[in-house]
Amino acid sequence: MRMRRIVGMAALAACMGFAPAWAARGITIKGSDTMVILGQRWAETYMNGHPGSVIQVTGGGSGTGIAALINGTTDICQASRPMKEDEKRKLRDRYQTMGTEIPVAKDGLSIYVHESNPVKDLSIAQLKQIYTGQVASWKVLGGADAPIILYGRENNSGTYVYFKDNVLQGEDYSARVQTLPGTAAVVNAVGRDPNGIGYGGAAYGKGVRELAVKKDAGSPAIKPTAATVQDGSYPITRYLYFYTRTKPGGPVKQFVDWVLSAEGQKLASQVGYFPVR
Amino acid sequence: MADRPRSRGRSWWRAALLTAPLLVTRLAVAAEGDSTAAGASPESTPDRIQALEELTQTHQSDLDKLKRFKFSGYIQVRWETAEFADDSVKVSGSPAVVTPANDERFYIRRGRFKLTYDASPLSQAVLYFDGNTAGSNRNLTLLEAYLTLMDPWTTDHRHQLTAGQFNIPFGWEIERSSSLRELPERSRAENVLFSGERDRGIKLVNPWTPKIETVVSILNGYGINDATFPTLDPTSAKDWTARARFIGGTLDASASYYDGITTIPLTGADVEVKKTRIGGDAQFYYELPSAGGGSLRGELYVGGNLNPDSSRVLIIPPTAGNPVALLRPGADPSHLDTEFNGGYVMWVQNLGEKFQFASRYDWFDPNTDLDHDQFERVSLGVNWFYDGYTRLTVAYDMPKTDALVGAGFEDPNDNLWTVQLQHKW
Repeated sequence: MRMRRIVGMAALAACMGFAPAWAARGITIKGSDTMVILGQRWAETYMNGHPGSVIQVTGGGSGTGIAALINGTTDICQASRPMKEDEKRKLRDRYQTMGTEIPVAKDGLSIYVHESNPVKDLSIAQLKQIYTGQVASWKVLGGADAPIILYGRENNSGTYVYFKDNVLQGEDYSARVQTLPGTAAVVNAVGRDPNGIGYGGAAYGKGVRELAVKKDAGSPAIKPTAATVQDGSYPITRYLYFYTRTKPGGPVKQFVDWVLSAEGQKLASQVGYFPVR
Repeated sequence: MADRPRSRGRSWWRAALLTAPLLVTRLAVAAEGDSTAAGASPESTPDRIQALEELTQTHQSDLDKLKRFKFSGYIQVRWETAEFADDSVKVSGSPAVVTPANDERFYIRRGRFKLTYDASPLSQAVLYFDGNTAGSNRNLTLLEAYLTLMDPWTTDHRHQLTAGQFNIPFGWEIERSSSLRELPERSRAENVLFSGERDRGIKLVNPWTPKIETVVSILNGYGINDATFPTLDPTSAKDWTARARFIGGTLDASASYYDGITTIPLTGADVEVKKTRIGGDAQFYYELPSAGGGSLRGELYVGGNLNPDSSRVLIIPPTAGNPVALLRPGADPSHLDTEFNGGYVMWVQNLGEKFQFASRYDWFDPNTDLDHDQFERVSLGVNWFYDGYTRLTVAYDMPKTDALVGAGFEDPNDNLWTVQLQHKW
């Protein structure tokens, strides 16, 4: 009798949830705000060419997307930074996998200033000094005698983490950084502020000037262009990723394969990023 | 008929009176719009935007402070039933034995919440409480309370010094949260050797590379489930542990060592028993294309220990007349120290996104010199993940022990079904 009761409960549970998530609601993509426009363009073009397919794309930040991947509320996570070790551990605790990392585009992390700003280039060390608060005036950098107004991203942003890890070398941002909810907001703020400086994806740099960046004081200043990002000479070059819980299968695999195809990669270039293939 | 023109006239005036204020208002709004457009109050809109920006910055600053607090926790509601209604079954909750009179029960196995405060990248404080129901006792228990200092000299502040009450850094399953476990309880060897899993002391965690980590700790040595905890630590000497872990991703492995002394206060000279534990563990992860991820795990515990069964036989417990325990006449205190071994092997396989199968064989031999004291158990379980936070576990435990029946030994009918619903946030 007890055995029957328990088996009955297990059977009920089985009936309620064996189908994969994408079978019920299409493919969901969540994560990086840097990649949200790119993801939407991929999804729209793919759906146009594949009638019946449904793909929903939302932002929220790379951290939010990775949390959704771990919680099972998204099929694909878009991330502008690699997953952290503790995030991989959480994924492994639940799914017994380390996740599948798929680089889908390259990006030159651009440094934006107002178009009237006379400063043309900065080194990585100078950027670190600026964003950690050690340098607070444009005059020190050859610009106007005016304070540097710092704009940045919120801490759930992959761009925030990537910039912190690779430019600030793990040090903390200055408390004077005004955090904004997306790269578009950073560009908008810098575009209105003659003393402002911000960072974000190459695809967003409209209405502002992108600075050339030097790897160190003695290196040449490199602007983020298709050629310099592709060959890696631009010092703040990064990959943009798709993450899935397991190796992609079914409609998710078909979509990922299409993103990595010549058509998908061409679309990445049109949006302002750079192909991985 | 004579009233009609009068009536029409009253209606016109009434309509005019009603519409006049609306017209005036409309004209005033239009005039304001024109004056704004003409620059009559040019500073008002930018001023308002600036005020809003300042307000947003203030709110952002407040929000950043609040984000330093993190609340997390989980609740496990459990239903347990003995497969055979005519026997007594040892279980993990309270009361610790399911008897024929009490062979089906609901209870709260764990109701825990954790508060973490990330004051800065260099320090962190944690308070962790358990609100389980131990019999009629429904008090809140402090499980963990510790502070951690991170090093200022590495960019990711990875070297950490922790002080307070925390999980004993030994092996793998001790530090793994109960909310993540695929089967309801840890192995029997761990339950006996590290009862409560926590102690007070300090520990130093050093991830030397992304793949190599060492942990050393100094502990009181009696754990939070010991009767003397926390008011009494009978030994001034402390226990210590060391663990080295290799983190390969697909294959993780570690070796652990624990060294300490258990002191038994007796009438006359106290007896000291060496407490040595050597552990090894490994976890291998793989992925099956059609099913999903899976893992094979194993852990081994060997060493010397005060055997509770031996101490029950060899020591006369305290009484009102003699408040300090006595060694039985003729008993050899060296027999209190026994060698043990235990461990488990486990297989976990995800079945799609919603289901997970888990199986484990675990054993514990508290005294390798004796027969009929060994414990063995096969456990099977299925997890169904309702959403990202909630799961249902159905588990079946088949313990094998030797109980003296007449002139021989028999394995009691003590198989156990457990159904557990967990929500984690």
